[in-house]
Formats: sequence, structure tokens, C-alpha cells
Amino acid sequence: MQASRARLFKEYKEVQREKVADPDIQLVCDDSNIFKWTALIKGPSETPYEGGVFQLAFSVPEQYPLQPPQVRFLTKIFHPNVHFKTGEICLDILKNAWSPAWTLQSVCRAIIALMAHPEPDSPLNCDSGNLLRSGDVRGFQSMAKMYTRLAAMPKKGRIFST
Amino acid sequence: MNQPLKEGRTRQSSFRVIYPPMGYDSIPIAASNAKEFGKKKRVNRAAKLKQSKLDVRREQWLSQVKNKGCKEETNGVSGVKMPAERNDINPSGEENEGLRNLCSDSESPFNSPMSSVFGSNRSPSHFTSNSSSSSSSGGCCSESMTEEDDGDNECLDDWEAIADALAADDIKNDNLESPEPDSVTATMEASQDDCCARAWRADDVFRPQSLPNLLKQNSFPCFKNVCSPSTCPICCEDLDLTDTSFLPCPCGYRLCLFCHKRILEDDGRCPGCRKQYDHHGPGNLSSKMGRSYSMIPRR
Repeated sequence: MQASRARLFKEYKEVQREKVADPDIQLVCDDSNIFKWTALIKGPSETPYEGGVFQLAFSVPEQYPLQPPQVRFLTKIFHPNVHFKTGEICLDILKNAWSPAWTLQSVCRAIIALMAHPEPDSPLNCDSGNLLRSGDVRGFQSMAKMYTRLAAMPKKGRIFST
Repeated sequence: MNQPLKEGRTRQSSFRVIYPPMGYDSIPIAASNAKEFGKKKRVNRAAKLKQSKLDVRREQWLSQVKNKGCKEETNGVSGVKMPAERNDINPSGEENEGLRNLCSDSESPFNSPMSSVFGSNRSPSHFTSNSSSSSSSGGCCSESMTEEDDGDNECLDDWEAIADALAADDIKNDNLESPEPDSVTATMEASQDDCCARAWRADDVFRPQSLPNLLKQNSFPCFKNVCSPSTCPICCEDLDLTDTSFLPCPCGYRLCLFCHKRILEDDGRCPGCRKQYDHHGPGNLSSKMGRSYSMIPRR
């Protein structure tokens, strides 16, 4: 068995065991492909993303864990470091600061931390970054909150229909 | 033995999404045998099924979030949903217990001969496992042993207790089963005339000098595993003796030689601290390993 597979299988087991321990992260492996994962993360509290649930798509390379997994948001999010259209994430640990000691679970944690602490100086979403850089925190927050409501929360009336 | 199995099953059933229990390989192979378009159809259906599962999960989760956060949106229907969700999660909270039992049971073939010896002088209240009612005594003993075996001295004491009991039981058996080399057993047979009822005490003059060293050597790997990972954190393969004594970085991050080599070929940074490994060639590497080896007896 190749190393990446063994490692992912161990992470899979680990995730199942830790599921209760981290209530903000739900990591789910694809039924037929261990190199494809999906994660649901809760928006951190006291941020404009609070109350929303965001879906992440993981694509794990064969060289994992020596190479970082590719992660992007499937849920639309208004954040300086997330591309608004593609969901691409600008995060150092997903690029040059990656370490094989990281796991998919810890990547999720890092992304939650990034949601709480945006880095407007290296923006992928320039509108969002410019709002923060010009000091318009309120403007940024209302925009982010709006998109959280639109994309990361269920539509009204649809929630309780089932 | 029944208890851990049952625990394992409840853990399985608490998962939301159903996974194949093993073998990610088997599915693509089976699919390739089937007809081309049947496979496509199935893949599509599986994808849809997966997405719908995720959606359902998300909806439920969201309703949970809503219930906690916003008070104006509380509703009778969602109130019903919440407890179901909780029930689903709660049973798996005990899984650590089950896992510990599983681990201790897997060690029990090794420990069970000792447990019969220890059973007499250890009270049941000593055991920390709360599910001890159904688990075997071997499992409990091994658990309490791993908790206690922190230092070399305790290990020695344990060993001597076993040796005492064995000697009291049957001296000839003791001679056959004891792990000492032949020279030691010879001295033991010679000293049988003096004290035939027990093995050496810690302060015994006749105790062979080689005994503690031998024990230390034997017990070294298992102590190593207690304080450091037994598998490589990168590739998840078991660490052998060479790997466990291999300290490539001053930060103390351990990994197997194979992964270390692959990282050196890649970007050469330690996974633990992200600092560059020393790039002074194999000479430095071997000297480092030599140093870490020389540290072993001094532990």
C-alpha cells in the first residue's frame, strides 16, 4: 500500500474517533476515492460567518503528505483570502509553509482560523481586501454577513419543511 | 472480550454517512468489470446520493446552529430534531473507553501469564477501567500495568515479583522459561542450595550483574513507544529500533528513515519545526545516529 493511502486511511480512522471532539468540523471521505474529501466547517463565532456552514472540497495528491492537499470552498464566501468565484484559498500552509505533520483535520482548523483572522494584505478577493485595508470594517462585515446568509445558511421556509 | 466488540459496533453505527468498511481498491475493480455505461450510471447515482447525504447532514447541522443562535427562528419541528441529533452523538463519547479496552485486550496474550501472578496482591479497586465487569482480568491488568510502568525500576520490581512467584511455584519451570542466557541459569542452579524458594532480591549479593542490563535492553523498545510514537507520523508504518533511536532534528520530531530520505530529496525541512535539516552529507548523519545510539544506555 502506498504511503499516502496508508496515511489517509489512518486519518480517516482518526477523524471517526475525533468526530465528537471537534464539533466545528465534519470531515467526510468520498465513498469510492480516498483522495477526495469533503469537509463542513462552522463559521467561527463573533465573525460575520457565524451561523453559516461552509463546504470545503479536498483533493489530495499522490505525494501526500509530502505535498499539501488542494482545498477550496464550495460554498460562496466573502473573505479577502478566498477567491470569490473559484473558492481558492490563499493560505501559507497550503502552499510553501506546508508540513507533512499537518493533517486534513488540522488544515480545517487552520481555515477556520483564517476565517476569523483575514489577511487583507495578500488578497484573492480584492473588493473584500480593499474594504478592510481602507478601514471599513463595518462595510466588510455587512458584506460578509450578507453572503453568509445567502450562501451558507438555508433559505427561509426551506429549513423546517422536512 | 464482548465489551470492546460491542463498543466498536456502536461507534460504527453512530456515523452518519455509510462507508465501505475496508478496501478502497475493491470498488474500482468491481466497477471496471461491469459494462461501461452501467458503471457511468452507477457513478452518477453514487455522486447524487453522496451530495444528497451531505445536503441532509448540512441541513440538520444548520438547524442545530439556528437553534442555538437565533431565538426568533425556534420552531416545534426543529425542537424535535435536536434530541435525535444529540442521541446520535452521545454514545460515541464512550468510545475512548472501548478503545482502551481493545488495546489492552490485544496485549493480553502477552500479559495474561502475569495477570495470574498479580491477581493475588492487587485489589480490584485499583483498576481504573469502569467497564471491567465484562472485560477479562487480563485486559484490566495490562491496563494498570501500562500506567504504572513509567520507569525502569518499576519494571524491575515487576519482573522480580514474577520471578519470585515462578520460583516458588516450580524451580525447574523457572529455569526453562526465564529469559536469561545459559551462564546465568547455571549460576542460578548453583545457588539453588542456598535459597531455593525465591529468586534474587534487589540487594542480593549473588544477583548476576548482567541481569539488569539484559532487562533494560529487552524492555527498551516498549518504553520508547510509551513516550514517542510507535508509528511514523508521516507514512504510518511501524517504527523499528533504528527508527525510534533516530533523531534527525534538534526539535525532537521523529520519523522513519524512509520518510526522512524522501523529505531530504524534496525540500529538506523538518516536519516538526519546518527548519532545514543539516545538509552536510551522510557523514554527519551517521555521527548523529551514533550519538543518539550512545545515549540509549544512559536513559
